[in-house]
Amino acid sequence: MGRTATIIAVSYTIVCAVAIVLLAVIAASTRGRRTLDEGALERLGERERTWFAIVVVLLVALLFATIFFTPYGRSAGPDAQVEKIEGLQFAWLVPGKPLEAGRPVEFRLTSRDVSHGFAVYTSRGRLLFQVQVTPGKTQTYVYTFKRPGTYKIICLEYCGLDHARMQSRLTVVK
Amino acid sequence: MSEALPIEAAAGAHAAGAAEPVVGAERERARRLTLRYLLSATAILGVAGIFGVMMRDSQADVGRLPDAWFYALMTAHGLGAFVGWAAFAVMGLSYWVLAQVGFPLRRLGSALAEATWWLMIAGVAGIVVTCVGFRYGGSWVFLYPISFHSAGVWGRWTAFFFSFSVLLVGLSIVTWCLSVLDTVLGPALHAVSKNVFNRLGVAMGFGYAAPKRFATNSRPVPYAVIPLTVIAVDMIIATLPLAILLVEMMIQSLTPSVHVDPLLAKNVLWWFGHPVVYLLLFPAVAVYYLLVPRYAGRQLVAGNVIAVAWAIAVTANVLVWAHHIYIDYPQGSPQAALNVAMQPVTFSLTVVSALSLYSLFFTMYRSRFQWNAAATALFLGLVSWLLSGLSGVVNATIAFDAVIHNTLWIVGHFHQMALLNIGLVIIGATYAWLPELVDKPLYSEAMAKWHVWLTFLLATANSAVWLYQGLLGAPRRFAVLPHEYDGATQAAIPITIALGAAQLLFAWNIVATVRGKGVERAARPAGRAPRRLSDVAAEALIVLLAIGLSVPAGVVGWVVGRYAVTPRTRTVTVSAANQTTAPASTGTLPATTAASGGGDPAAGKGVFTSAGCAGCHTLKAAGSVGTVGPNLDQVQPSRALVIDRVTHGKGAMPSFAGQLSAQQIEDVAAYVVASR
Repeated sequence: MGRTATIIAVSYTIVCAVAIVLLAVIAASTRGRRTLDEGALERLGERERTWFAIVVVLLVALLFATIFFTPYGRSAGPDAQVEKIEGLQFAWLVPGKPLEAGRPVEFRLTSRDVSHGFAVYTSRGRLLFQVQVTPGKTQTYVYTFKRPGTYKIICLEYCGLDHARMQSRLTVVK
Repeated sequence: MSEALPIEAAAGAHAAGAAEPVVGAERERARRLTLRYLLSATAILGVAGIFGVMMRDSQADVGRLPDAWFYALMTAHGLGAFVGWAAFAVMGLSYWVLAQVGFPLRRLGSALAEATWWLMIAGVAGIVVTCVGFRYGGSWVFLYPISFHSAGVWGRWTAFFFSFSVLLVGLSIVTWCLSVLDTVLGPALHAVSKNVFNRLGVAMGFGYAAPKRFATNSRPVPYAVIPLTVIAVDMIIATLPLAILLVEMMIQSLTPSVHVDPLLAKNVLWWFGHPVVYLLLFPAVAVYYLLVPRYAGRQLVAGNVIAVAWAIAVTANVLVWAHHIYIDYPQGSPQAALNVAMQPVTFSLTVVSALSLYSLFFTMYRSRFQWNAAATALFLGLVSWLLSGLSGVVNATIAFDAVIHNTLWIVGHFHQMALLNIGLVIIGATYAWLPELVDKPLYSEAMAKWHVWLTFLLATANSAVWLYQGLLGAPRRFAVLPHEYDGATQAAIPITIALGAAQLLFAWNIVATVRGKGVERAARPAGRAPRRLSDVAAEALIVLLAIGLSVPAGVVGWVVGRYAVTPRTRTVTVSAANQTTAPASTGTLPATTAASGGGDPAAGKGVFTSAGCAGCHTLKAAGSVGTVGPNLDQVQPSRALVIDRVTHGKGAMPSFAGQLSAQQIEDVAAYVVASR
């Protein structure tokens, strides 16, 4: 997981914990002696408008907090290493030449047959990035490897019988 | 349950839309339909659930399935559980909801409801036959054009009949929508308006926001009608383009020259694929709207702003499909802009859930809630709705989707939504209404409570494992997961088996209730002779029970047999795929050997490593350790065989004729032969 994803996952867990406490309060309230009268229920119904406003504000805040973290439209610049990779049932055709660390790589991804998912993991199994490859189209993705080493390519879009074995390697050198 | 009726009736007394339950022949019509839908859907759940447990066990190497079988069961499980169980069940429950709030099925509506049942049964049967009988394994999204690239597993007629079966399911959804629209626009609202478009607006709740335009008073329509109308309108819009794509796919199965743009097809699929989630959720909301107030003993706590929520729902639902393809944005397509636009629209759908949950939770708050099994199921369903809704919000962000897309996180998310939220509504509604539907008391309230709690706890734990694995990057739709995820997968095994076994309590309770055993238990006073179940229904339920019982028994037997007889091995990388592809390489070639070749082994080595051969094949000389295709050190293919396979492909191996020149193929063959 990258930083953004970690932040989102942790926030999600915290919000869930708060939600569970509130749910317990609601469940417990039905066992108490006090019930709400008609007037209170009426007011709660009207107050739904306030809740609506709160939800909208929260969503707008979340939208602005996340919308700028998209992988779209990244440009690699003139210094980029271009890596053309073709996917096919059930292999990635990777050029043998190693990539250099610290220099942006512009992946140009195509598929010969069906949809594939191009995902790059570290050798220890951490997902670095993924992108879809649709047949007949060219998908580009720009990424700069920080460290030399061997990286795993795994197909993450179901592509048929040997989907789980559609894996390959990328070598990154200094 | 009847104690809440005066409230509904009181609301109806001054409401333009009737809220008295329908009676007589119209009630009987709805009763029969709902019962039939519910029992058929539950039977489908039994089968689909068994497939699910088998898949999870296979991933943990407890009863490893051959890959082709894994993906075939995965396809049948996805469509079976999602549409054949959950959608089918809530479609049936909708008729009972409508009857309860005074909307009778008319002749046309009934005929359409009847057609819906037959189309769904035929469609699901076709899917099971093509998947289990002919191993169609394109997954439930059958991502175009995978149907036509089967790697030798299924043929074109299988692809044809699979598309045809899904088309029947799609048509079933459309006929259901029409039957619901015919009902909600019918006589119950005639008093409000003679104009059919006005009535449609009323049925979608517009009267709460604009009473002058859409109603004669402030409570124009029972709340439960609103989500049903909204989804009936949306599913017609959502399903028709998919139907066209399915017809195209049927034609393409038999006439390969016909084809469409894969990216367009992907958009069409999700144009349907997102709203179909709400085909489950919105009718479930209708059940919540009806039953939660009943158990709380008060009316639904809702402001007029609820009309705004449903107006958002009806429009946003068909404008959010691209959030399923956030990480697909090829050059020269407008997909990236479309994807960005759909993140805020997806967020807006959260408002619908947020307002509904507000209403439902405050309806419960400080009420004298009757905590019976049905009510408990509904509350736990709401809990799951809230938790899975929250994970839905984070999934809706492009930033997070790029990380968890196609990982097991997604599997955890939608099982929490479909199996828990929707599933618990179906279970709760079954416990609440089965007694009315068969006119016999529930067999065991205690057993029902046990079932509800076990299902909630086990299915939540099951989803939690998937969510956790997804965060670690574990891929979904993998017959064999990379080994680093083995620990968590194995931990899920007792959970899935116990979850499956807990459903036996459900089956037992249903069968006993339908057979009238509850009457004996309650020792009701005489004068009310227990009705007898029709023979067909009784038989169907017994079969269901038998299937349900035999699965855990089979699994236990298999595990005992496996661990008692053979020592446990961990070499799982050599899989059935090898067996499927092995004949491709070891089969004898016709005696026509190619002319004596001019292949250069040294050049061939370069071809071997750069063309991707090493990705699938083990060859010591090249240092490759691929396990997809046959091990070339062991098979030691002849030069002619290599040339033939590389040129023409076979089974899972693609043809390289377009990619490699004849000389390169000669070279690689010479290299493989020289490397023995």
